Amino acid sequence: MDVLINLSLNGLATGMLIFLLAAGLTLIFGLMDVLNFAHGGLFAWGAYSGIWIYTTTGSFLVGILGAILTGMILGIITERWIIKPVYGNHVQQILITLGLMLVLSEMLKVVWGPNQISAVTPDYLSGSWEFGGIIIIKYRVFIIAVGFAVFLAVQYLLKKTKIGLVVRAGVMNKEMVQSLGVNIQRVFMFVFMIGAGMAALGGMLLGPYSGVIYADMGMEFAILAFIVVVIGGMGSFTGSVMAAILVGLSGSFMAYYVPDLALAANMLLMAVVLIFRPQGLFGAKG
Amino acid sequence: MMTRMFSNRMNIIYLLVAGFLALLPFVYDSRSLLILLSQVFIFAVLAMSYDILLGYTGIVSFGHAMFFGIGAYTVGVFMKRFEPETSYFLLAVLVTILLTAVVSYIVGLLTLRLKSHFYAMLTMAFAGLFLVLAEKWRSVTYGNDGFTFRVPEFLKDRTDFYLICLVSMVIVFILLKRFTNSPLGRVLQAIRENEQRTESLGYSVLQYKVIASVVSGVIAGIAGILYAVSLRFVNTSVFTMDITLDALLMTIIGGVGTLVGAIIGAGIIEFSHHWLTELAKVHWIFERWIIFFGIIYILAVMFFPMGIVGSLQKLKFRKKKKASVPVGSETVSQGDS
Repeated sequence: MDVLINLSLNGLATGMLIFLLAAGLTLIFGLMDVLNFAHGGLFAWGAYSGIWIYTTTGSFLVGILGAILTGMILGIITERWIIKPVYGNHVQQILITLGLMLVLSEMLKVVWGPNQISAVTPDYLSGSWEFGGIIIIKYRVFIIAVGFAVFLAVQYLLKKTKIGLVVRAGVMNKEMVQSLGVNIQRVFMFVFMIGAGMAALGGMLLGPYSGVIYADMGMEFAILAFIVVVIGGMGSFTGSVMAAILVGLSGSFMAYYVPDLALAANMLLMAVVLIFRPQGLFGAKG
Repeated sequence: MMTRMFSNRMNIIYLLVAGFLALLPFVYDSRSLLILLSQVFIFAVLAMSYDILLGYTGIVSFGHAMFFGIGAYTVGVFMKRFEPETSYFLLAVLVTILLTAVVSYIVGLLTLRLKSHFYAMLTMAFAGLFLVLAEKWRSVTYGNDGFTFRVPEFLKDRTDFYLICLVSMVIVFILLKRFTNSPLGRVLQAIRENEQRTESLGYSVLQYKVIASVVSGVIAGIAGILYAVSLRFVNTSVFTMDITLDALLMTIIGGVGTLVGAIIGAGIIEFSHHWLTELAKVHWIFERWIIFFGIIYILAVMFFPMGIVGSLQKLKFRKKKKASVPVGSETVSQGDS
């Protein structure tokens, strides 16, 4: 029982981190038809800048805000100068965002050095609670709470606000929205900014969770996020959270019971979904 | 007729360069240069195989390391498990060709129906599976650390091996040149230009794409064999994304859809890698040499999507076109500029 609860919590926390990365990917893909292979780079930049700000100022909250801000700025730059010139050309998009990924993760090594950086949990989030013999680590609960809050906030933004309406309409039919007089370019930028901010937040939260941050973590998590986006369905926000939790849980349980197959299981899951249901479990468009 | 003459002249240039490279070890005896050039030839083979996919068929695979790694591990396992003799080496080559053909056929059949994004991701996943396999199947692969092995007698001498790599590269170049100029190769290029249209003309696009992926996979496997033999060592790094990225960078920078571009790209990347790591002693930023390539690569995708060779060809083509324009209009355009 003890093990089961801990594994579930662990899986949920990892799932939420993947969700933060995958949600941006899926929204960006749904709206702009761009699969951003550099998203993992934004994740890693969030982690490095956030942890750096956290250790210099000593405030975890400021670190988180700094990470989100960094992510948003990088997101705007990416959209403006890297992705905008190649809208509509899939092959070029794949190639150029992959190149950006290279540059982003190498830049991290230039700025902060090639070695791992350790990240500590702030005092008020470290330690654990104990309920009848079951030990629950506080920081994991914190990650799950933050992930859930972000999910609700974005859900509210999408479902209840005007800009959310435009985004949802854009996912369905971009040209129609444009012909109704909406400046779709600005919507693109907005969504990209939100997506990049979420990715950076995810990276920042991962720091204290795993204890260390390193430049290649972006790529590692990006692969998981791609799997999630495929399983959940490209462009489906709800799908991304469901699939992220699924992948997180399967990762944590597999790592405990059959550690050799942890990553392979997720990849196989994605392969099966892609082959038999290419639009994803929740996806509307293929 | 113009193109015929043009290609003849190009053939002479290729022949001269190949002859020069073949004579090089007898004229200028430098061990490090030979090793470096061997690496260039090996990666040129890999980049050319990638060019068949990216440049001629217009599909981006992120799993190319899979075939490279299969080749490298096959030869490694054969040399380690059995005697390092020529017969076993040839057997390893045969097994590599079979394995890469089967794997690329199955993977291609499963993945090539998907759209570009999904294809890229799924190939990445398959390559990831092979990486995991190589890490976990310890009894055969010795896990992450890999293993060293001895090579047959005829591959031991560095000069001989250099010549073998050079000959392999030239043979692969000629074969692929024939392949891309064949009717089949033309269909592949038609798929690159306009997939729907090719399909509506009655070609089974999937089948052609699978053929391209098999050809490319087998050649990448051969590059993997040469790579493992050159190091006499193999570990899981042959399955990593880095190998695919290298092939991608070489093809893009050299010029997609030209084959020669892949060779030139391999030369540029390998040589500058070598020099830039030496420059790292001067300034630490050169240790992060990949950053320069990343930036050049992004700029290349944006502004020179055809790479070095492609841009040169375009320039040549434009000049020729200008020459064939009637005299009157040419003087006008000259006046304008």
